[in-house]
This record gives sequence, C-alpha cells and structure tokens, in this order.
Amino acid sequence: MKNQEKILSIIDNIERVMIGKRDIAELSVVALIAQGHVLLEDVPGVGKTMMVRALAKSVGAQFKRIQFTPDLLPSDVIGVSIYNPKEMEFQFRPGPIMGNIVLADEINRTSPKTQSALLEGMEEATVTIDGETMIIPKPFFVMATQNPIEYEGTYPLPEAQLDRFLLKLRMGYPTHAEEIEVLKRAERSAPIEDLTAVISLEDLLHLQKEVKEIIVDDTIKNYIVDLANRTRKDSYVYLGVSPRGSLALMKASQALAMLRGRDYVTPDDVQYLAPFVFSHRMMLRSEARYDGITPEEIVERILAKTNVPIKRLVKQ
Amino acid sequence: MKISLRNKWLQAIFYVLVFFLLREWLIPVVELTDTNYLSIFLAFIVLCFVFSFLSIPWWLSGLGKLVYIFWVLIFIYTDQVFFSPEGFSFLIKDVFINLEALMSRDLSVVTDSFRTVLFFLLLWMTAYLIHHWISVRLNIFLFFFMTVIFMAVLDTFSPYDADGAILRVMLVGLLLSGLLKVAKIFESNHISMGQGKYTNLIVPLIVLVGFSGAMGYLLPKAAPVWADPVPFIQSFADGAGGGQGSAKGVGRIGYGEDDSNLGGAYLPDSTVVFEATVKTPQYWKIETKDTYTSKGWEQSVGSNEIRNYTVGDQIDTGIAVGPVEDHDVASFTFLLQYPFLMYPYGSIAAEAPVGTTFSISNNTQKIETFQQNDKVELKEYSISFSEPSYSLTALRATTTESLAQLTPEFDRYLQLPEGLPERVRELAYSITEDKTSLYEKARALESYFPRNGFIYDQTNVSIPKSSQDYVDQFLFETKRGYCDNFSTSMVVMLRSLDIPARWVKGFAEGEAMRNDNGDRVYQITNNNAHSWVEAYLPGIGWMPFEPTIGFSGTGNIDFDLESDSTETPAVPLAPKKPEKPKAAVASDSKSISERFTEMMEDVADWVSENRVQIIFGSIALIALGLILYRIRKRWMPKLLVPYYRLRKENWQSFETSYHHLLHQLSLFGIKRGEGQTLQSYAKYVDGFFGTKDMKTLTSAYEKGFYGREIKSHEWVQLRESWENLINRTSG
Repeated sequence: MKNQEKILSIIDNIERVMIGKRDIAELSVVALIAQGHVLLEDVPGVGKTMMVRALAKSVGAQFKRIQFTPDLLPSDVIGVSIYNPKEMEFQFRPGPIMGNIVLADEINRTSPKTQSALLEGMEEATVTIDGETMIIPKPFFVMATQNPIEYEGTYPLPEAQLDRFLLKLRMGYPTHAEEIEVLKRAERSAPIEDLTAVISLEDLLHLQKEVKEIIVDDTIKNYIVDLANRTRKDSYVYLGVSPRGSLALMKASQALAMLRGRDYVTPDDVQYLAPFVFSHRMMLRSEARYDGITPEEIVERILAKTNVPIKRLVKQ
Repeated sequence: MKISLRNKWLQAIFYVLVFFLLREWLIPVVELTDTNYLSIFLAFIVLCFVFSFLSIPWWLSGLGKLVYIFWVLIFIYTDQVFFSPEGFSFLIKDVFINLEALMSRDLSVVTDSFRTVLFFLLLWMTAYLIHHWISVRLNIFLFFFMTVIFMAVLDTFSPYDADGAILRVMLVGLLLSGLLKVAKIFESNHISMGQGKYTNLIVPLIVLVGFSGAMGYLLPKAAPVWADPVPFIQSFADGAGGGQGSAKGVGRIGYGEDDSNLGGAYLPDSTVVFEATVKTPQYWKIETKDTYTSKGWEQSVGSNEIRNYTVGDQIDTGIAVGPVEDHDVASFTFLLQYPFLMYPYGSIAAEAPVGTTFSISNNTQKIETFQQNDKVELKEYSISFSEPSYSLTALRATTTESLAQLTPEFDRYLQLPEGLPERVRELAYSITEDKTSLYEKARALESYFPRNGFIYDQTNVSIPKSSQDYVDQFLFETKRGYCDNFSTSMVVMLRSLDIPARWVKGFAEGEAMRNDNGDRVYQITNNNAHSWVEAYLPGIGWMPFEPTIGFSGTGNIDFDLESDSTETPAVPLAPKKPEKPKAAVASDSKSISERFTEMMEDVADWVSENRVQIIFGSIALIALGLILYRIRKRWMPKLLVPYYRLRKENWQSFETSYHHLLHQLSLFGIKRGEGQTLQSYAKYVDGFFGTKDMKTLTSAYEKGFYGREIKSHEWVQLRESWENLINRTSG
C-alpha cells in the first residue's frame, strides 16, 4: 500500500463511526502523522471521545484516557512509584500518559500544575519520576479536549502551553441528516466495538518518518514566514505567531500533502491548515474583542492579502 | 509591508548620491534669487542626512537642526560667530516682530531672517521626504523626474544655464534609481545583500550609466529641431501669430506686407491660398521692393506712375512677353482674398467680371483690382500670358559697359545701405571675376549658394542684431536660411556690381493636384509664399533669377547659340535638386569623425525638413502602438501559439508559457486574487470555460515549481491544453 492509501484507509475507517466529520478525521490524522497533538475545543457530547477511540483502534494503538478534574494530581497523569513489600522495592506504576494515543478530556478543568505535567510529557515525549527518565512509547499522540473557556469552573490554558498543540479543532454539531444517521447506526449496537485496525503501529511509525521527505520549496517556506510575520504586525494582534508556529505549519503541511498524495507542499496545503495552526497561537488585543474579530478571521484576512508565491523573482 | 534597508554602507552611498541631486536644486535657487551662503544651506542638508543616517532620535536631531538654524541666523544677520547675548536678543526681537506681522497678516513687515527660517524648514521637510524615499520606499524616481523637469524649465525660461547640471542630474539620478531598484528587489525577496551578489548586479549598471553618459556627452548633438519655444510663446502672447515675418521670433509663413525686419524662424502653414489651372508650373508674382535697409525691404515713395486697365486690356507689366505660340491661360480660384492679382511672367491681359479695373504701380508692379473705384477682392479671374523666353546669344552679349548708359530711374534699383560691410561687395566681385557678360555674372551669383555649403532651413534662422547686416550675417556667419535670405543676398550682391536688381514677392508654383482638360490644377498654400530676384540686363530687360536652394525658378532660355556646342550652357535655370548640397565636396581626406558629424547633420536636416511628417508619423505610430497594446489580448495568443510550438519542449518553456497564460487570462478579465492559490484559480478558470485544461496545467506547474519535478511531464498533452486555453482568451 502506498502512503496515501494507508492514510485514507484510516480516515475511511474513522468515518464508519463518525458521521459527517471527515475533515476533523483528516486533520487529526495529519496531526498524528506530523507527530503533533490536537486540541479539540467544543461542548460535550459531540463525539470527541469517539473520534479518538476510533483513531486509536484504526492504527491498533493503545488507547488511554485521562478525565481531568480539579483534584487530579500530576502523579495521576504520569504515574507513581509504589513500595512493593514483597519485592522490598519501589515499583513504577505508569500513569495513563504512557499510552500511544491519549485522550486528555476536559484539560481545562484541572489545575495548572497537572496541566503542565501533561504538556511537558507531550513536548518531550518523556516523563521523569524520582529522577528516572522514562520514554513514552512511540507513537505518542495526545488529543486534548476543552470546553470553551467562557464556561465556569475552568482553568484556561496559558498561551505558552497552547503553543504545544499542533492544531486546534472544533467539531461542531452534526447536521440534521447526520444526526439521524448517528441515531440509526447506534440503534442496535455501538459501532465502535466492531472497528478493527487497518494499519499497524509500525506502518504509522513509517509514515511519521516518510512525511519528513515531503518537499517544501523555498518559496513555500518564504510564504509561511510571510504569513507568520503578518500575524505579528497585525493591528489587532497583541502577540503573533511564534517561529514554533511557522514550523508547525510547515510540518502539518507536509503531512497534508502526503494525505493528498503529493510529495511536495503547495500553497493550498498551507492555506488550508493556517487557521487551525495559527489561531490558537495568537493573543488578540481587547479592540479585537470589541470589534467582534476572531483569530480565525484575522488569519483569513492575512491569507487573502499575502501574495501566493507562483514565480521565482530571482533565479536560483 | 515596510521595507527597511539593513546595509548601512549602501545607505550611505544613497545619501551621498541624493545629496548631489538636491544640491542641483539649491544651486539655481541660490543663484537666481541672489541668495548668498550656498555652503550654509548645503551644510544643513548634510546635517539632516547625517542625522537620518545615524538614526538619531527625532528630539535630538530636531534640537540639533534648530541650534544650527539659530546659529546661522545669528551668524548671517548679526555677524557674531558664536552664540552671544546680542545674538539671543536679536533672535528674541525677531521672533516678536514676525509673530506680530503674522498676527496682523502684514507680510511686508516679515524680516529676511524669518524668510531664511522658512527656507530652512522647507529644506528640512525635503530632506525628510528624501530620507523616506531612499531608506523606506527605496524609490527615488519621482524626485529624479521632478529634478529633470525643474532643470529643463530653468534652462528654458530663466537665465540659469543648466547644461552641466542636467548631465550631472541624469548620471546621478539613473545610478541612484538603478541601485535602489536592485536594493528593493533584494529586500522584498528577503535576500541578504552580502556575498557579492549586489556588486555583481550593480557593476553592469554603473558601466551602462557611465557609458551612455559618456556617449551622450561626447557625441555631436543635432541642433534643436524645435526653435527656442520662449519667443514663440511670446509671439503668440503678443498676438503676432499670423502673417508677418516681422515678429521677432517665429512667424507663420505666408504673404505679408511688412518686410522691414527679415529673419527668424517660420512655422509651416498649409492653408490654401488659391488654386491655379495652367499648363505649366509658373511663379506667381505679386510685387517688387526696391529699398534694402540692412534689416529688410521697404518701398521707396518716389515718383510713382500708375497705369489703369480694364478687363481684356493688354497690361504692361514691364516684363518681356514670350512668343505668341507659347500663349497660355491661367485661371485662378481664390480661397483667401487679396485686392490684387497674382500673375505669371509674361502676362498679357486679365479676364474678370465686367467693370473691374486693374491699376499697376510702376514702383512695385503690384496690380490692384478695383470695381467702381473701390478695392475689390476677386474670387476668380484668369490671366492670359506667354512665358518670356530669353535668347542666350543676346544674354551673353550683355556687357558691364552698357550699365553706364542706364537712366537715373534705375538708381533706386542700385540703392544699398551705407553700412553694408565691404566684404559683401568683395565676395560679389570674387564670385563674378571671371565672368564677362552681365548674364553670366548674375548666373554665377545665383548658383553660388548651393555650391558653398549654404543650407535651406525655415526654423534655425537668426534675426540680425541691431549692429548687423541681414545679408552679411547670412553670407558669412549663418549660411542657413530660407528664400528671403537667398533672394535678398543676391539682390544686394547684384547691386554691389552695379547691376540693377529688385526683390520680388509672390508665390512659388505650388503643388500639382489633378489634371483638368490637359491643364494642371495647382494648389498654392501659404507654404508656397516665396521671394526671388529680378535683375535688369540692358538690352534684355527685367529677368527673374532664383537663388534659393530647392526652388526651380521660372523663365525659359532659348539656347540659340550659333556655332560651337562644345561649350554647353551651364544648365541655366534647370530645376535644382531639392536637397541641399551640404558640404557637397566630401573629400576623401575627411576623418571618420567629420563624416560622422556630417551624417548626423544630414539626419538632423532631414528631420527638420520632414518635421511635419515625422510628427504625424510618430503620432500615428504611437496611436497604432497604443491600439495594439490595448487589444493585445486579441493578437498575443496568435503569436504565442506558434512561438511555443517552435520552442523546445522542456520545463523552462512550459514555465514561461504558463505565466503567459496567467497574464492572458488576467487580460481576459479573469484575475487571480492576491492570496488566491493557483489551484483555486484553476478551478475557477475551468468552471468559467467548462474545461479541465487549467487544472491539468496547474497541477503540472505545481509539480514542477513546488515539487521540483521538472522532467517527467506529458509535454504534448500539456501544450494541447495550453493552446486550447490561450485560444479561448483571445475570443
């Protein structure tokens, strides 16, 4: 099977249980292949958990779930060493983070201390307990969900930590017809139980390696940097996209190009991903809020104004 | 996006270059307004630039400039070298005076020092603007262009001589524009300027600017095709645009009464004066003048005899009439109106409405027309005539001795101004020395001009200065002029040989328009207004001569020599070639540079002769070019298709052809948005035309451009798609 076919088979598999959410499935897979993590921001009950479980099952990965609550401790996430009287020594009991695909549900409900334990793990792909560094098994993919921060009793994620998510997605409600289809399928049995893996973990690791070979032309790099630069200069934006954001956009674009069956990135890839990569990495001025401008709108505006590279002005 | 220049060295060069441009503004201003202290103003500009260059904070640089301005004020107006109590009290007093003046709106009270401050402020603003142009916008063209215009206007309308300035401005401006353009390309593409890249690009620029500057400076320059526009504009302003050649400036060609101040440029005027139907081309005479004033012609008032004739009478014009068998009739139809006749040589009688009388003045040979004692302007009339024919034998028999027997009535035709330079006379003698008969002497004078480097020109003709003689100036200094110069010179030279001669005005033969029952219809326009010469040869009578280069003359010579034909007559009155024999004797010894100069002069002459055609031709060409440019979307594909068929099938030609297609599409009206990707544009284009070609092409292009895969493409298929689309855009 070719790389693209492998990716598409995952997405098709997810679609069997997730109705009308192909774009979210695609983006999740893009993040998975680009070795990034996803932040899903939405109200409860639209299928966030189902999404992650389907993804985990499709690639045959170990699925772990952490339900964040205000009293959750970092050790509940990364694990804890417990004294074993029989063996006369401390034994490490890994926490839920030591899985391949982790659903961090309602991440903004827990205290910043616990949040950062998770986020550090996400960034380094290692956890340190009692001076011992443990490597989280690969592939490692976290999908965190959060309720929109206007809701009460939440600890909003700091901007620096938001930066660690590759993509921020929003599921949204299904359409009327889609919702009927959801009901129909769940009438007799839960379809998620029937889902089987379509590729192996080795395949996934292979894809994660291959994606780095996707060509990103200098003009595309220039384009990405132009876009990031413009977010920094926008009058509504207090804090623009960091270089980590530019890098994220490039990596995600490579994965998307692979998904679309190309071995090179085009401006279309960049434009498609830019809102998902950039919007949670910007801090807006209060004027933007007064004017009702969202980060997504700012990204759209910048995309419309930035020249797409179609020609080399200086021959190389 | 704001582009700012990083390379400080380069920026310093820009500042130095632009300083020279700004200096060119300051020099004439200071010169023309009698302002002193140029160096103080220049130093201020340098100060402004240095502050900008070093990015001094605005408050500090502002303070520095103000201190400088105040110091200059104190220095200029109180002669104190340093700040002193007297200086400060002067400043404070001055501030109050000027504030008061401004408050009371009494600008006449404003002191000079305040004007100086204002001038400094102007310089300050200019320096700031220039700083913005060269270090932020990276574009100086506007300023450069304005500088050139400013120089040209000053040079034309003011006493300031901008010859050197315009050269400096062009060199510095071109260099600066080029450097800035390169810098801008580097900046906008985020290319660092180091690594010798910049040098590689600017070396050809410097070489090119240097070379073209040197060529422009060293090559011989053609004389201006247009005369100095200032007198022209003034002559229009004075309402002297029409008719007279007397206006000190550019006149408009045509018949006029006042010839007292000859010289100056003429504008062509193709207004039709009349049409004449006649078998052979004729000169149409109006009148003669007898008194040369050193500046032009006037008519003496002496005893004037007026003879009156009625319709059909035989009119005596004082010119011999040709044989009866050469009898001919010329009919005139006038579009402009004059109360006198224009008649050919050898006129016999005039036909006009009954009741018309003709009165010819013995002094001027002007035939005025009357009806019931009132001057009348005839619209149509005809004149029967027989062109005079002169026997060569008789002509050659004319002798200088016979001149002694002339009656005093010819004295007025021998008049010469007292101040006529002796060298005119000497020239006349030297030309005619070896000729015996009067006729041959006259002929020698007539043919002197084309053989000695004289040039026919209507535009670059000088007006004699008050101390100068019109003829002398033409013969010895300018050697460039039109009929008045040639004919007057010949008359003066004839008179200096004691041969009676007079100056004739009228129209040349005009342009043959069509045939009318074996006759030709000639159209005579103001452009045909002309002057020539009549000389009196004892035993022959008055005979016309035509010294003007490019005109054919009138009158027949009967080659009735009895014996030897070995001595062929020197082609008398044969039509001269209309070209000027400029430096006709181009000897082989001439150096290349001389020949080149001659060639350039030829070109300049040709240009000035065919000015009208060239102007209209250029306008037509420009118009054609504009039209072609406007409809280029229609014909470009027709050229592009065969062009790309001939080109090699490879990535390079595909790439350029794809960009041509994009350009064509945008001309067609399907424009790609600034942030629109090629794929979404292709989708739109395909949707518009109902094709899939744009998608095919775009995918191939993206694969090559973003994916660096430039080999494995289906060139033939791509070209088909491309041709399909590009042909659609021409619809």
